Order: sequence, then C-alpha cells, then structure tokens
Amino acid sequence: MDIRAILLVGGVAGDDGKPAESIGGVPLAYMDVLGLPVIERVLRRLHRFGICATTLISDAPAATSPFTQRAEIDPHAAQVEAPGEEFWDRADEVFQQYASEGADLVIAMRLGPYIEVDYDEMIQHHLDKRCTVSMAVDSQNISLELFVISPAGRFDARELFQSHLQRLRRECEPFAVKGYVNRLSGAADLRRLGLDGLMARNDVRPEAIEVKPGVFLGRGARIHRKARVVAPAFIGARGKVHAEALITRGSVLEHHAEVDCGTVVENSTLLPFTRLGAGLDVMHSVVGFHRLAHLIRNTEVEITDAKLVDMVPLSPVSRLAGSTAALFAFIPKQIYRGVRALSHRESSVEDPECAEAGGAALKAPVLEAPASGAESSEFPSNLAVVRRYGED
Amino acid sequence: MEKISRPVVVKRMPERMNLKQARKFWKEVQPFLDSDRPQVVFDMSQVRHLDAAGIDILLQCMREAIKRDGDLKLAALSPQSAVVLELTRTGRLFEIYENSTAAVKSFSSFLPNALRQLEPEASQGVVPMFPAQPVSSDDGTGASLAA
Repeated sequence: MDIRAILLVGGVAGDDGKPAESIGGVPLAYMDVLGLPVIERVLRRLHRFGICATTLISDAPAATSPFTQRAEIDPHAAQVEAPGEEFWDRADEVFQQYASEGADLVIAMRLGPYIEVDYDEMIQHHLDKRCTVSMAVDSQNISLELFVISPAGRFDARELFQSHLQRLRRECEPFAVKGYVNRLSGAADLRRLGLDGLMARNDVRPEAIEVKPGVFLGRGARIHRKARVVAPAFIGARGKVHAEALITRGSVLEHHAEVDCGTVVENSTLLPFTRLGAGLDVMHSVVGFHRLAHLIRNTEVEITDAKLVDMVPLSPVSRLAGSTAALFAFIPKQIYRGVRALSHRESSVEDPECAEAGGAALKAPVLEAPASGAESSEFPSNLAVVRRYGED
Repeated sequence: MEKISRPVVVKRMPERMNLKQARKFWKEVQPFLDSDRPQVVFDMSQVRHLDAAGIDILLQCMREAIKRDGDLKLAALSPQSAVVLELTRTGRLFEIYENSTAAVKSFSSFLPNALRQLEPEASQGVVPMFPAQPVSSDDGTGASLAA
C-alpha cells in the first residue's frame, strides 16, 4: 500500500498570542529528547511501519532553526514552512496532492502529542470500519490529533483541516491507542518524556552509549573526574559536567549543555546549548533559552544573568574562541596563584578550576572528633561536614 | 558496556549510626573499599538512628569507592534513614534500591523499576524522594559476598 504522512508542527496559539507547545519560541516537537528531536523519533517510527513519504509542515519561524536540529531531521521528509493561517491551507494542499498522486491512505498528525501507536493496527481499523477519516483517541476518548484519511474523502479532509483537526464531517468509530501517549503541551511533558525514556517506560531510547548501568553519554561528552553522575542520567553529545557537579535523579543534559563547578542538577532537564553557572541547585526544572520552568511551582522565569543561566555559543568557531580565551585567562591566574601560594603556604586550593566557582558539594568528607577549645567554630564540626552536602 | 563479574559486597548497617558506631563500621568496610573498583551495597533496613557521623561515613565510603573507580549503592532504606537522608539532601548522591538483591544486580544492568527515588509521580514532575511505606530487605545476611 502507498501510505503517506503529513506531520503538522504548531497550528495552535497560546493564551497570550505566543505559540503554544514551545519553550523560548522553539516548538517542543523540534526539541531534543535524549539526544534526538521528537519529530525525528516520530519519523523513524513511521519508517519502521513502512511509511516513508512524509511532508513536515511547520509554523515555527526560521529564526528558531539554530536551536533545533532541523538539519538532522530526515532529509527525505519534505519540509514546508507555513506561518499563521496559511498553515492549515498548506496541510489541505499537501493532502490533495497526495490524493491526486495516487496514495492509498494518508496519515495526518499534529505534534502536538507524542504517541507510540501501532500504525498497522490503526490502518487495519480504518479499513475494517470502512471509515473515510479515522481518529485516534486516548483511554479517555480524547482526540490525539492523529488521523488516517482515505484519498476519496477530499471534502472530509478539507473540513478536518479547516476546523484545525477539531471536527469530522462524518463520524466513525475512533481508534483507541494502547501505547505510550504524552501530550507534550509544555515543559513538564517534555521533562516527563525524557524521564520516561530513561526509565524505559516508552520507546524513546537515549542516543548515547551506556557507559555504566543507567548512565548514558553522548558523543564527545565530558565529565570531570570529580563530578558525580547518579543513574539514571543522560549527558548529550558534547555536554560538559565540571568538577564537583552532581547530576542525579533522572536528569537529562541535552547536547552542548554545560554544568559548571559545584552545581547540583536534580530531576531536571537542560535543553540544548544551556550553560548552568557554578554553585547552583537546580531541581525539578527544565532550563534553557535563558528560561527556567519549575515543574513543582508551575512557574516559568526568565533569567538574564549569564552567571546563572547562559547559552553556549551556537557556532563551533565561537565555542572554540571562547575556550581559547578561557585558557589564556586561566594561565595568568594560575601563575598569580602560584606566586601567592609561596607567600601563603598555609592556604591550599585543592581544585583551582573550581576555586572561584564557590561549588558546594562533594568536598572530601572527614570523620573526625568534634573540635574543641579555640579550634571549634560556632557550629559543631559534624554539623558543618553535613552542611557541605546539603543546601543553605 | 562491560559485563561485570567482580564481587559485590553487601553490608548491613547497624541499628545505630552514631560517632562510635560509625567509626566501628568504617573499620569493618574499609578493607572492601580499599580493593580495586569496589562495588558495595549498604543495606539500611536495620538503621533506626542515623546522625551526622553516620551520614559522614556514608559520604566517606562513597568517596573512597569512587576514588577507586567503584561505586556505593544503598538498599532497603528504613523510614528513619530515609528521613535523615532527605533532610540532609545526601540521598541524591546515591542510587537507592528497594532491596539488596536489586542493588547488587544494578551493578551489571540498569533496573529502573527497582529504583526507589523515582516514584511514578515523578513523571508528573513531582518527585517524592523516598517511599512513604517502610521497605524491607529480602537479604537475610549481615555482610555477604555476592557474585
């Protein structure tokens, strides 16, 4: 059978007029999850079911391209940019084109939700029920914005696209999806998709090597020997974890993400090119594009202070220039430290790289009797030791 | 990924982990931690009292294990130890498993379903660090060597 697919990225507006289902203006469908954009995962799934002819229609502005890996998305998928009202018209046009080219069936889906559906089952359902348009629904009978359309139903398709996938011209028994479903409507869903992938609850497998059980490392990722990564965790391609940092509780660092000295990342996702400053404690959050979405407080804040959250330069040349500049700044500092150490022999810095960063965690714990007399500080020594690992 | 055939040491922690007990405990586990790439599991099902010295010894053991390219995992946390680990935010430094068997197996393959710190609610963005109900250990031995 000649089955083709139309993938729609966008098509819904948020409450404040900004595009919904996006972070920092970048659609969630283009975001990396465990090393691969969501859209690429959908395309690969379609390929597995033998559906290779696809058209990708997006209303995202071209300006968001550098943040995404659009270039890495299947080159066989035709990509169409259609902002605003043009979006749904283009979807209809592509359908009419597929129908006229003799396609047996057309799958239309909006991303939108990430669905692990058995396309064979859905197509069989469509054929068995003799539907013109079959709709996929979740366990609560809510539309998943995934449809199988027969080419004969041109008017049905037009009605469907003009109603923004909300209305069917003719009712047909919906197809209940039994597989994994993620609505992917915001940062929390994006985080959940990544975490579920790490916990093997869906087919989102990390695009990385499992260096130890539950710890995945992308190509060119670097973890400082004094950093700690607790499984499950994912460090994407060219990610960097500096000394004394802690990555824990299913945290995900997408490609080129960087965690500076002493920072704790707990149950959080760092979006591509995100750089976290030193000595921070990031928990239950999705961070990227100078924004932090806290999933428990359900708030999103913009962070402009580059010492806290910054963007790694997008171009390799800029990154190289930045690294070179940092190296040249580092050498004089080390010389100065060496000279200073000669005059202050009693003071020692164990890790000069992080000396100025103010990292908190993972200093060498020492089991010792409580200090007494003049040596004792205002805190008992044991309490002080514990506090090093805790928060403020 | 390397398939592990090295032994995993399971050590049951004593009921009280104060300074005195912690020192004793340290002397007991130190030989295991001094080995090459030590793989150690602490069974915390018996722990009823855990203070700063106890936490300190956990961190020291972890540090020693990591230094030798090994790891330390925790298993079968008692409610008391779970509370203290949460309070001091040290729990996040460790992989924590429901029981010693799962913790031992986790050295050779990742067992997401046996991990205790990520409950199903985690997928909604809320992560209770530890189970509300007491967890029990299926490992009856105090200290044992498992292949």
